[in-house]
Amino acid sequence: MSEIKQVNLKIDGRDVTVPADWTVIRAAHANDIDIPHYCYHKDLSIAGNCRICMVNVKGAPRPVVGCATPVAEGMEVSTMAPDAVEARKGVMEFLLINHPLDCPECDQAGECKLQDYSVDHGRDHGRFTEEKVRKSKATLGPHVKYWGSRCILCTRCVRFTDEVSGTGELGVIYRGDRSEIATFPGRALDNPLSMNTVDICPVGALVSSDFLFQSRVWHLHSNPSVCADCSVGCNTRVDLDAKDQIKRIVPRRNDAVNKEWMCDSGRLSFGYAYSDRLQKPKVHGKDATWREARRAALELLSGTNGSSVVVLVSAWNTNEAMATVKDFVSAEVAGARIVGYGNPTQQDQTFPGFTIRGDKNPNRDGLKSVLGIADADASLKALAAETAPIGTLLVVHNVPGFAMTAEFKAVLDRSENVVLLDFADGELLRYGNVAVALPTLTSFEKAGTFVNHDGLAQEFAPVMEPVTHGVPESDLFASLKQDARAATVSGVKA
Amino acid sequence: MSEPVKTSVPFEPILTKYINEPNAHTIEHFLARGGYEVARAHVGVTDPATLVGIVKDSGLRGRGGAGFPTGMKWGFLAKGTGKPAYLAVNGDESEPGTHKDRHILEKDPHQLLEGVILTCWAIQSNHAFIYLRGEFILGYERLEAAVRAAKGKGFIGKGIFGTAFDLKVTVVRGAGAYICGEETGMLSSIEGGRGYPKIKPPFPAISGLFKCPTIVNNVETIANVTHIIKNGADWHKQWGTEKSPGYKIFCLSGAVKKPGVYEVPLGIRMADFIEQYGGGLVEGRAMKAVIPGGLSAPLLTPEMVENCTLDYESLASLGSMLGSGGITVLHDGVDMMSAIYNTMRFYHHESCGQCTPCREGTGWLEKLAHKHHSGHAAEGDADLLADVAKNMRGRTICVLADAAAMPMQSYLQHFRADFDARAHEPAHAARHRTARDEITPAAKRDSVLHGAPGVADVGMGNRE
Repeated sequence: MSEIKQVNLKIDGRDVTVPADWTVIRAAHANDIDIPHYCYHKDLSIAGNCRICMVNVKGAPRPVVGCATPVAEGMEVSTMAPDAVEARKGVMEFLLINHPLDCPECDQAGECKLQDYSVDHGRDHGRFTEEKVRKSKATLGPHVKYWGSRCILCTRCVRFTDEVSGTGELGVIYRGDRSEIATFPGRALDNPLSMNTVDICPVGALVSSDFLFQSRVWHLHSNPSVCADCSVGCNTRVDLDAKDQIKRIVPRRNDAVNKEWMCDSGRLSFGYAYSDRLQKPKVHGKDATWREARRAALELLSGTNGSSVVVLVSAWNTNEAMATVKDFVSAEVAGARIVGYGNPTQQDQTFPGFTIRGDKNPNRDGLKSVLGIADADASLKALAAETAPIGTLLVVHNVPGFAMTAEFKAVLDRSENVVLLDFADGELLRYGNVAVALPTLTSFEKAGTFVNHDGLAQEFAPVMEPVTHGVPESDLFASLKQDARAATVSGVKA
Repeated sequence: MSEPVKTSVPFEPILTKYINEPNAHTIEHFLARGGYEVARAHVGVTDPATLVGIVKDSGLRGRGGAGFPTGMKWGFLAKGTGKPAYLAVNGDESEPGTHKDRHILEKDPHQLLEGVILTCWAIQSNHAFIYLRGEFILGYERLEAAVRAAKGKGFIGKGIFGTAFDLKVTVVRGAGAYICGEETGMLSSIEGGRGYPKIKPPFPAISGLFKCPTIVNNVETIANVTHIIKNGADWHKQWGTEKSPGYKIFCLSGAVKKPGVYEVPLGIRMADFIEQYGGGLVEGRAMKAVIPGGLSAPLLTPEMVENCTLDYESLASLGSMLGSGGITVLHDGVDMMSAIYNTMRFYHHESCGQCTPCREGTGWLEKLAHKHHSGHAAEGDADLLADVAKNMRGRTICVLADAAAMPMQSYLQHFRADFDARAHEPAHAARHRTARDEITPAAKRDSVLHGAPGVADVGMGNRE
């Protein structure tokens, strides 16, 4: 492949050098010069229809659109030339004449490009006194609703379904100012990436059914995170309300991982942080204090011969948790065997512009790199195939929506006692032989590192305070270790 | 009636010579008058570059409206791309007041096909698409029949005229959208998508139909090709002006005695054309204005008509355009507010809705024009119209926004008093008026442009 030539041009008096195949808007954005845009999206084809990105190019008879104008050597672009300002003002007015101006009840208010650009580029009053065009409202799919009157027909959503999801459910119907976005007859916007259309909608036309009327966005605060729903490890922004409740998860741009997309499942995956949580430690099914529970766990783990202890670590644990497990086992339960497991792997879902990994575990790679378990499924299978009884089974679980497999059951059935570390009061806890259950935290409540499908280690911080009395694994094992030391010391004294 | 126009060289209709003969659309009729002989003589024989050269020298300009030099356009066709080149013939004739291509398609389709064959040889394309306006039922039937007949004779298909040159001709019908007559909108439509015009650059000659190099020409343009190749560039240049050589089909409508389709040399006086071909204005009427080149062309006042000749440069110098050759004469009884409202209604209906200024602006223009038409405009509304039109011009992917804004600007320029006469309400009243107030139950008025009933559907409703 031949090297793309670089060209030099001036934007607002600044000298910039960019590849020759770039457009003006990309050159400007790459150099932190703002050019307003609605239809332009870095990861979609150029539509050039919103006409708000008009700039003045020296020598051109009239303002041109920045999104579709290729850069050229020696080009002089002005974003603030009077004709460009005038053109944007005109476009802004056109965009608003038939807009319902229903910001008070619109989900997009507060993060709406119409609002932002109205302030920056619009007029201070409306001149349109005619009747507005009214358009339909529709439920496009299970997660997306459409408010036609708010739509500016930028066709980002249509291009997304054509180019990224490749599912092509969406199109434009009718003509002129009656145009609306709609699904093709018999189709629904139900692809696994459908909610990206909500993110890329610059206005309040496409809204998430899940987030609808849940909160005004200015009441939300946001924290960065990494999605644990599969091994892609999409970078996310988690939005929480004043009560620290997660309201929605949206993708955060990382061109090396997920560009600006993520799947619907990942976005809606925060429910498990709030339901069926293991609130407190339990010993034989009864609530216990942390001290009692730790003592019971230690007795089961170190009271028996280390060789009869098996440690099961899921691929949902962070590198840090795995490291502390390893550290604890080598120090306190020498000889115990460490086996990995995870959610069963499904088929990858591949779309033209995105792949949802079939490996529904965020950190299978961590099992390999931290615990040396090359093939977690094989290690569990080998363990299940054995018949020797297990004295104590320590399960470091943390798998939301875990579907119990026959192999996993076989291992549980062979175990005399189970010590479970999990955030959920779930199937595993109720299975029967769990002697001690120690509450941990979801990935929303703790820090850690996941290694994604491509071997990229991604660190994340907690996005919210713990919902339960659970603690991170690293703290838990540190306490267990401390307790074990204390017991040894007091034992010597006795 | 005075004598027909005297030009330096006598002129007999060329493209429309046979359109009044009942069987002119059949291949037998066409072959009997030497049809397909020019194509037979050149396909597989003459160097394609020579043919392009002849057309370039002839100075033939595109007859679709823009008047771009045809030979020059052919010269832009990207070569050596490894992709097929296409010819797309634009027969989506939808500009109000224009119906010249329709006559060629319905009455002499083989004339077009011979031009297609020669053009395809000249640009070395093996596949031509002919896009027809959906409403052209007869034209479609006759063109399809013509293609079949030509195929049967071996003029279209594999190895045409016994040469090694293959030519496929596909007739595509539109579904009734004005925008599909815009060249890239037409390409989108042929591709099977919505007829959304595409951003230029890249121009179709570089990346057009199915992202392949494509030449888009109007039906009349292509029909000209055979005659020019047969008779030579100088023959073509004997008529017309230096920058607008040749002859053109004009469609004369409105308040004239003999509206119709007339083929005349370019460069004749418009006033003479109206007088001598159209028989002058209908009895008892005077000229109020002329729409010279299809509805989107800025209109001319009678004084401008006096100084106007039918060629590209004369109309450009008058701030209008020759366009598609659809000339509509408005008489002194025409209510200009009714005419502009009807015009705006058309563009609002036909805007594809892709670009913001056109999608929203055409609707706004119509609503404001309706206010003036129904006498409910407020002071300052005409200024607002001017500003809206200004904000639409040159701000969109294709020129539909300009096509809507230009007539509005010209009406405002020449008939501002008519606008102001309808602005009865002070500006502050308009702010408090509801939309319902604007619809008046006044009786429907029939004549809008030239006395035909049922054109306007909204009453005058002057509130005195």
